This record gives sequence, C-alpha cells and structure tokens, in this order.
Amino acid sequence: MMNNALRPAVLAALLAFAHPAVADDQVQIKFWTLNDAGMAEVYAEAIKAFETTNPGIHIVHEEFPADSYKTAIQVALNGSEPPDAFFNWVGEDSARLVRSGLVADITAYGTEETGFQSVLSPAWIDSLTYNGRIYGVPTEAVSKYFYYNRSFFAEHGLEVPATFGELTQLCRDIRAIDPTIVPLPLGNSERWKLNHYITMLNERIVGAEAAADDYSLKASEDQLFTDPGFVEAWRKVLELQKAGCFQDAPNATAPELTRAMFSSGASPMIYCGSWCAAIFDADGFTDYAMFQMPPVEGGKGAAGTNFVLVQGFQVPVASKHPEEAVRWLSFLVSPEISRLMAERMGRIPANPAQLGQSTALTEQFKWMAQDVSAVTAQINVLDVLLENSVSEAYLNAGVEVLNGTMTPEAAMESIRAAALKAKERM
Amino acid sequence: MMYETSRNGVAGRPGHAREHLTYLLMLAPALLLLGVFVFVPVVLVIAGSFYEFSLTSEDGRFVGLGNYLRIAGDEIFWIALRNNIIIVVGSVVLQVGMGTVLAAILDRGIGVGRTLLRTIIFAPMVISSVAVGLVWTIILDPNVGPMNAAVTGLGLTPPRLGWLGDPTVSIWVILGIATWQYTGFLMVLILAGLQSVPKELYQAAALDGATGLRAFWHITLPSIRNVLVVAVLITTVGGFKIFDLVFVTTGGGPANATQVLGTYIYLQAFNIGDLGHAHAMSVVLLMIAVVLGWLQLRVSRTA
Repeated sequence: MMNNALRPAVLAALLAFAHPAVADDQVQIKFWTLNDAGMAEVYAEAIKAFETTNPGIHIVHEEFPADSYKTAIQVALNGSEPPDAFFNWVGEDSARLVRSGLVADITAYGTEETGFQSVLSPAWIDSLTYNGRIYGVPTEAVSKYFYYNRSFFAEHGLEVPATFGELTQLCRDIRAIDPTIVPLPLGNSERWKLNHYITMLNERIVGAEAAADDYSLKASEDQLFTDPGFVEAWRKVLELQKAGCFQDAPNATAPELTRAMFSSGASPMIYCGSWCAAIFDADGFTDYAMFQMPPVEGGKGAAGTNFVLVQGFQVPVASKHPEEAVRWLSFLVSPEISRLMAERMGRIPANPAQLGQSTALTEQFKWMAQDVSAVTAQINVLDVLLENSVSEAYLNAGVEVLNGTMTPEAAMESIRAAALKAKERM
Repeated sequence: MMYETSRNGVAGRPGHAREHLTYLLMLAPALLLLGVFVFVPVVLVIAGSFYEFSLTSEDGRFVGLGNYLRIAGDEIFWIALRNNIIIVVGSVVLQVGMGTVLAAILDRGIGVGRTLLRTIIFAPMVISSVAVGLVWTIILDPNVGPMNAAVTGLGLTPPRLGWLGDPTVSIWVILGIATWQYTGFLMVLILAGLQSVPKELYQAAALDGATGLRAFWHITLPSIRNVLVVAVLITTVGGFKIFDLVFVTTGGGPANATQVLGTYIYLQAFNIGDLGHAHAMSVVLLMIAVVLGWLQLRVSRTA
C-alpha cells in the first residue's frame, strides 16, 4: 500500500515524464556525442550558457560509447527520430554519409558574425566540405605523439630519436638499463592502437601522396596496394617488436593499461593520442614531453606531416531544425567554448583565438597545439580513412603480424585481396 | 479431454463458432506480438538476404542467391561456425557432464553445507555475461591479471601471447568461461531431476548389490534421461546463440580466431556495413535454430 504522503510525489514524477520540460514554442535540439570521460560536464556548461543567450532553443545531450557509436548513428539516421546534430570523424565516416544523402548541406547557415563560417579558418572548414558544399562543423583535431618520461630520459642520458632507427635503438638501450622495463607498451586488444602506428609508418615510407590512390581504391587493380613500402611498413613494426619495444602480449593488453604503465612511471614511453595528455595530467603525472613519429631512413614521407584527425559535428538531412542546430554548433566553436575545451579537456580546438590569453594551459598542450597548426599535411588514420572491409583487413593484419601468425608480405596480400573486392563492389 | 468433447460432441452447435472466436480473440494479442516482433522480422531478413545493401543505402540491389554463394566462399564464416560447434560440443561435455557430477554429489554425496555449495556454484549464472566477460578479461590480463601469476606459481608457463590474445588458445578460454558461468544452472536443473528419483529404487538396487557408481549408472542416469535431454538441448541452443561473452572478451579476435556466428553477423552488418551478407548468414543461423528447435520438440515428445 502506497503511503499517502508519497502519492503526490509519484503523481508529479509521472506528470513530469508525461510532459517534456520544454515549452511548446521552444525548439528542441537532440545532440549526440561520444561519452568521453569529463566531457559531459563541459557540454553541460556550454549548453547552459547557450540556452541563456538562446532561450528559444533547448539542447538535449545524449552520449554513446565509442564502440557502438558508429552503429547507433547509422541506425538513427535511417530511423524516424534522428538527432539534430551528431559527432563524427572527418574522413570516410563523414564522406559516406554525404554520399548517401543522409547529412544536410549547411552551406547556407553559420554565415553571421558569430557563425562557424566566420570564426573558423578555411582550412578547417574544408575538412568537411565536399564538392564545394559544407556538410559539417569541425570542432577539434586530435594528433598522435610519442610521450616520454623526461626524468627517466635525463637520468639515463637518453635522447629523443631523430630517425626510426634511433627509436628502435632507444628501446634496446632501455632494455639494457633494465630488461624488465617495457620501453613502449602497446595495448592492441581493440586493434586500433597498432593501426595508428601503421598509419604513420605508411606515410613515412610510402608517402601520403603515393598512398592516396590506394587508400581511396582509385589505383588500378594491378597497382592496388602493391607498393613495396606497404610491406616495409609492417617490417618496421616487427623491428620495433624485435627491439623489445613492446611487452609480450600486445593483442591481449588493453590501451588503458598501457596508459597507466606510462603515467605510473613503469614505462618511459608510449605512443598515444593528444587526448592522452589530459589523462596523464589527471593521473597526476606531468613530467613528460612529446615527439612525432620520426622519419624512416630512405622513406618517401614528406617533412612536416603528422597524424591529424579532425573531428566535428554533422546535421542529419532529416533534422527539422538545421538552422538552430548550426547555431548551437557555431557556439561550440566560439572562442570561449573552444578555450574551455582546451583548458578542461586538453582538446586542440578548431578556433584557437583565445588560447593565447589562457594561463591554465600546460606547456605540453601549447606544444601540441603549435605542432598541429604547423603540420604541412594531415595524415588521417587508416581505420577512419579506408573503406570498411579494407580497414577491417588492416586491423586484423596488425593483430596477426604482432602475433607472428602472418608475415608482412602475407599481411599485404590479405589487405590487397580485401581492397580488390571492395573496389569491385564500388 | 475438454477439447475432445468439444470436437466430437459439441461440433455444429451454435455456440461452437463463438467458442472458436473466443479462443482466437484470446490468442490474438500473442499472435500480434509474435507477428510484429518475430514473423515480420524473419520475413524481412529472408527477403533482405537476396539483396546487396548497407545501413546507409536507400535501395538494395537484387543479387538472388549471391549472398548465399558468398557464404560458401567466406573463410571466416566457416571459422565462426566451427567455433560455434566447439562451444556447443565443449559445453555439452563440460557443462552437462560437470553439472551431472556436481548434482549427484550434492544429492547423495554431501550431507552438510549442501545449500551453501549449491548457491556458490549457481552464483555465476545470475551475473550478466557482459559483467562475467569483463571480470575474466581482468583476471586473464597477461600483465596484471592473477591467472598468469597463479599459473607461473604452479611452475607452468602461461601463453606468451596472452590467454585471450593467442589464436590457438582463446576459443578454449571462452569455452572455459562459459562453463564456469553455466555449469551451476545445469547442476540445479539436473539436481531437480535427481531429487524426483524414488529412493525405493536405490534401496531395491542396494539389496541386489548395486551401490555407488553402479547405482548411478544403472538407476540415476536412466531415471533422469528426460532432464538430461533438455539440458543437452538448452546447452546446444545456447552454444549457437552465444554472442555477448565473445563480444566483450575478444570481440571475435585475435584476427577472427574466436569469431562465432553471432559476432560475425554483427561485424558484417554494423562494422563493415554489408547487410545483405549479414542477412544471409542470419538465415543460415535461423535454419540451424529451426532444426534444433524441431529436434528439441521431437526428442522431448519421445522422451
């Protein structure tokens, strides 16, 4: 029997569910993001500020885990209740939705003084421009670096490697100091960690321009993924393994564990995304600096290139409120919110206008932001860039090469076979 | 009996049609739900298996039996099917076998602490497979997990590539985790069967000199045959339906070594976006389930 005193409360709760807390004349924007730790609070602040200045718009923020996000967004875009703005990676993931006609052309929006087209540089806007039309708002870039423990390097007289050969030697030197130390832990249980290595090794050896036709499957059938540099890139992975860089079972090790190995001081290096800096800082470890994937001796990679993955938001073509959605996305790339994202989450924002005024940014963040802005050509990560079945072949080949169950040559044969099938279906 | 009376003695009466209408109305909600949530999706999946399409494509391209022909040449499909069979056979042998032994011990071999032991052995069954998978992922971690330490402590060498990273070991590890989780359930099921065996049978057998293992073999097992048949069928169907435990522990890896039909269909549908291929594989899985379901009905009737 329900307590009489509880009845009004239960009734009120039921009524609250029955009537959404949105006024009839208010536009509701459903906003989908990944559930990155700490980001919900930052978005909540941004939403509060936006709704204060835009009382007619109510933002409903929904988060999704990364591994199910791609599925969720594809299902939602084909369903009857899609979001009004959703996170996406720039590359094949965003291009595929443009080709399918599932995302809106927002070229007509965001042109006012505070609109994204006014506050972002053309280079950033170009990242989500297809055939001269804009299909999304880029908000940030992520990059990839070798993080190293400064005290450990100083204590043992170790130098930042200038070439790939020096990097492998560095692993041998660290093992010589203490064989139990894992110099460069690799957590490849989810497969994408090695994919980031091979992304950059392909660039350093084959060169981005030479690989572009293979990646887009435009190369002729007899040429597709036949450049010997692709095999050489896998050999370089094996060189790292043979030099003792990794621990014994990288394919059974979670990425989170390897980050903990670095931030706890157990390992002196890690190849990690720009987002890792905020994680290490939160762990209380700040005695680190970074360097890029060094050039490979004899490789055809261009100087000044690095892994840069642009991320942003797109608006479904089925959204009933594209103008309001773009107004919200423009707010996300405003100088104030961009600065907030950088200070609180270590994100490298598309709009750096206020970063110079910040005193809260770490020296490492400033170095990364400067490095990303100085990149001459952005190298997109393979699992975002490649057609899905080719990406899957690359991911699996990485696991097998590390396990020693596949040679570099066989790895490229399996990738070429997947690419040929994908090309046939195109 | 009532139905017989109705068919033979009441047929043709004015109330007969109304009676049938009543049955139909009572069945209607269940039929409607089944239709919407089972039959319509099944028909859509079968129809989709003849098309090539993705989640983001508006129209599919009719390919006839093309998706089924691709299955025949899809090496990973056969790996997945083989893994399902490993899980099924392994589960029947280990889970039903150990469940039977444990049930027999609890039924007749242990006097004290029976309820406590039964609870402990049954406990993993009430945990979700996702949670079980995550816990075992930590236990089996090659760097910090206690399993490596335990194995090393026994003077043995753990797999160099990790329990879940070694393609020759990982499917057996998943079988082991599934056994840990479900043996308790089978034990309880079989124990219920054992407790229904009349004690007089054992007393009579004892007078004839059949005790211990002989009594178990000649009295217990034949008496619980029906329960064992159900246990085997439940385990078989479960082995073909396995998804969450594999998805959480290995995701089908390393490099497809632990792929099962459920995870491979998911991979094709949602990661690669080849929905036609995924639909065709789902139809094959459905056929396996239909055959097993038919077998279950047939065996349970004859048993």
